Amino acid sequence: MDQHIKKVYVPMTETAFYILLCLREPNHGYGIVQTVEKLTEGTIRLAPGTMYGSLSKMEKDGVIRFIREEDKRKIYQITDLGEEVLALEIKRIERLYKIAKGETK
Amino acid sequence: MKNSNYCKKLFRYFSIFEYEKEEQYLREMHKSGWKFIKVTGLGIYHFEKCTPEDVVYQLDYNQDAQKNPDEYRQMFSDCGWEYLQSYAGYSYFRKSAAEMREDEGIFCDEESKLMMMERVLKGRMTPLLILFFCCLMPQCVIQITLGNYPVAALHGALMGIYLAVFIFCAKKYINMKNGRK
Repeated sequence: MDQHIKKVYVPMTETAFYILLCLREPNHGYGIVQTVEKLTEGTIRLAPGTMYGSLSKMEKDGVIRFIREEDKRKIYQITDLGEEVLALEIKRIERLYKIAKGETK
Repeated sequence: MKNSNYCKKLFRYFSIFEYEKEEQYLREMHKSGWKFIKVTGLGIYHFEKCTPEDVVYQLDYNQDAQKNPDEYRQMFSDCGWEYLQSYAGYSYFRKSAAEMREDEGIFCDEESKLMMMERVLKGRMTPLLILFFCCLMPQCVIQITLGNYPVAALHGALMGIYLAVFIFCAKKYINMKNGRK
């Protein structure tokens, strides 16, 4: 994997994490906002400026790709590279969680 | 400036990094019963009389959006933000505070706020920098070698002003990066 991509996405922002997580299924920006609100029981409401900026940046970085446009909404999906960084990030978070719980040897 | 009982026009100047000040200004105006209609020219703000209300105004600066403005505005309107206008590269949005659970903005993390600042820097400062290095500086040197000192001095003065603007913007950017005061 490109070292630059690894540096930018591990660790990644919470916004980027939720975008990658939700885009394992094709979805548009507002769809992601709604899914995240449901997943976090209303705690996290992603804002449109943040969402728009992140989606265009992540598309340029090749971690997500544009599929098609429907009713003026762009639908995206995660790429193989995106899956890779997401897996790395999940591993990192798992390690943090274990350490925090005192589960490491 | 021409004012009537229902409309008024006010001149306000905000420099390139003062969009937060501008947002605050529009919010205060709406709170005191003056609803923002549009901004034109060099900073003429048009208002219309309305019932006082707490409405949050937000500015975004995004050149990517110009490629597909409908899609861009759709995302904001889905999230409850009314699109108002584009002016000097900025897009203006507003949302009533009553529709928010707490103070809400169009950005929800520090990273994306900083990214917007970087877009402003690139979009607004790059033309100035090109003018500075490709026009003002060589002109100044040419005028000095020609012995045209008054003209050279004029260029020098202009360069001084430019330099002050650069330093001011750079300072503000660094401050923001170090924990946005």
